Amino acid sequence: TEGPPACPKGCDRCSEYNGCIKCKPKLFIFLERNDIRQIGVCLASCPMGYFGMRNPEGNNRCTQCKIDNCEACFNRNFCTKCKDGLYSHSGRCYVSCPPGQRTANETMEC
Amino acid sequence: GQSSGDGERAAGRGGCPGRCRCEVDGLLHRVDCSDLGLREVPGNLSVFTSYLDLSMNNLTVMSGGALSNLHFLEELRLAGNDLSFIPRGAFAGLYNLKVLMLQNNQLRSVPAEAFNNLHNLQSLRLDANHISSVPVGCFSGLRSLRHLWLDDNSLTEVPVEALSELPALQAMTLALNHIGHVPDHAFSRLGRLVVLHLNNNRIVSMGTSCFHGLHSLETLDLNYNSLVEFPTAIRSLSHLKELGFHSNNIQSIPEHAFTGNPSLITIFFYDNPIQSVGRSAFQNLPELRTLSLNGAADLTEFPDLTGTRSLESLTITGARITSLPGSVCEQLPNLQLLDLSYNQIQTLPSFSACESIQKIDLHHNEIEDVEENTFAGLMSLRSLDLSWNRLTSVKPNSFSALPALNKLDLSSNQLSSLPLIGLQSLTHLRLAGNDQLMELIPREELPRVRVMELPFAFQCCAFVSCDRRGGAPSWERDEAESAGRDAAAGFSSQVDQDWEDFLMEFEDEPKPQHSVHCSPTPGPFRPCLHLLGS
Repeated sequence: TEGPPACPKGCDRCSEYNGCIKCKPKLFIFLERNDIRQIGVCLASCPMGYFGMRNPEGNNRCTQCKIDNCEACFNRNFCTKCKDGLYSHSGRCYVSCPPGQRTANETMEC
Repeated sequence: GQSSGDGERAAGRGGCPGRCRCEVDGLLHRVDCSDLGLREVPGNLSVFTSYLDLSMNNLTVMSGGALSNLHFLEELRLAGNDLSFIPRGAFAGLYNLKVLMLQNNQLRSVPAEAFNNLHNLQSLRLDANHISSVPVGCFSGLRSLRHLWLDDNSLTEVPVEALSELPALQAMTLALNHIGHVPDHAFSRLGRLVVLHLNNNRIVSMGTSCFHGLHSLETLDLNYNSLVEFPTAIRSLSHLKELGFHSNNIQSIPEHAFTGNPSLITIFFYDNPIQSVGRSAFQNLPELRTLSLNGAADLTEFPDLTGTRSLESLTITGARITSLPGSVCEQLPNLQLLDLSYNQIQTLPSFSACESIQKIDLHHNEIEDVEENTFAGLMSLRSLDLSWNRLTSVKPNSFSALPALNKLDLSSNQLSSLPLIGLQSLTHLRLAGNDQLMELIPREELPRVRVMELPFAFQCCAFVSCDRRGGAPSWERDEAESAGRDAAAGFSSQVDQDWEDFLMEFEDEPKPQHSVHCSPTPGPFRPCLHLLGS
């Protein structure tokens, strides 16, 4: 169906089967898995494990972080929040700090 | 979770305000009041609130002290409201705040003093507002800030002074603004910055010392700007690993362009009108995996890649290279993909020392001969494209030792015969356009072939069975799919991803009983009978 009334909040265009297809400006589209289907939803910030990629055309998307042991990221390769118990250094997550790096336990950083 | 439906309780004693959704995690409370049409911050929040989501409401003001008793608050989400001004003291008392989200509001300026007391703040999102000014001192006090989003705003210049008060900053995006110039020493106090996104601005020029001080920078994104000159300022970035300046107006890459960046792993610079490239430009890049250069019309010599030994994918198309150095494989022992199509290459060296090579594209050149040692011993070579050259002959054993070769394209040359020694693993063979090649090809010589394009229909008679299926030969479908993928991704910045897709393509084994797509297909006007006597 076209047009906002039947579409979820923040959505400019949607379809019955796929949920939101195009979000309102500034929001991010996130493809929620629903069984074998993917349903588009519009978010102000992306869920855990994803970061928001903006582009000039306004097709802002939630994109998966590609860093091991990372819960939140700035871009594909830079983690902003490592899983509990892991140390972060230069955007990556470590079980123990790399050689030559001192651990800062209060902030869990190297 | 608990919601206000369980009865209102006095503010501050574990209340869950209005229609919010609350979760208690030990002592601490997670409160989600998003998307409730709220016009102001709820009053009766528990002092033990550690997470508060007020995004996607209709907040227009943040009154001073509204949250001042939330000393345990670590994450505050205010995205997607209508905040146009945030006064001093709005975040007073939030001693433990680590994450503050203000994206997608109506701010025209970074609040001048509202952040000054947030000494533990690590992430600050200001993206997708209308910010055109960043007052000096607005970030003072943010000594723990690691991540700053200012993308998708209206900045016309780099806020140099304001940024100089962020000594702990590690990642920043100023993308999608209207910045036209990056001055010298713009980021000189950001010694711990690892990631800097400046893409999608209007950057025309950069000071040659504009990146001084960025000792830790690993990722620099200058894509989609208006740069005319190569950004020589990168010379001071000794830890740089990923550099992007694709989609600019740069016409030449100078000699020793990356001499200061020995750690580079990827460089994306497609969609630039690059005409000339310094021969030593890509020397001494021991970590570089992929190099792709298209349309450099002034490039007449193959680049000197001494010291760039980890290269796995090299693409130089649309230039005027006439020959390759004999040492190309000694320089590039790890090469897996070589694409030198659309050049003016006449003679080929031996590629035998390129032991890992899997795909060679040399189509649209001026190659006349293939020697016995040109491709000898390439155990991993799967695809070889020599179409649109001037090949008149191929030595008997030129393809004899290529056990993995399954795609061979020799179309549009001047061959009169084709030695079949060693081609038993072929699944795709193209010979169309070799008008003097009239010999019949015995089917038993190509037991696994599935797609063939031959010069004449009668040559297909030996391969065409009765139950021919319609539809485009899968060669075309394969090519269309991979071309479609590249075009859609616009020579995607994920070359590694395309590379994996490419390798996947060859995983499937030929079907035990297979029909052959052979063209031109023999038909009523191009019968097979008289040839095969049956």
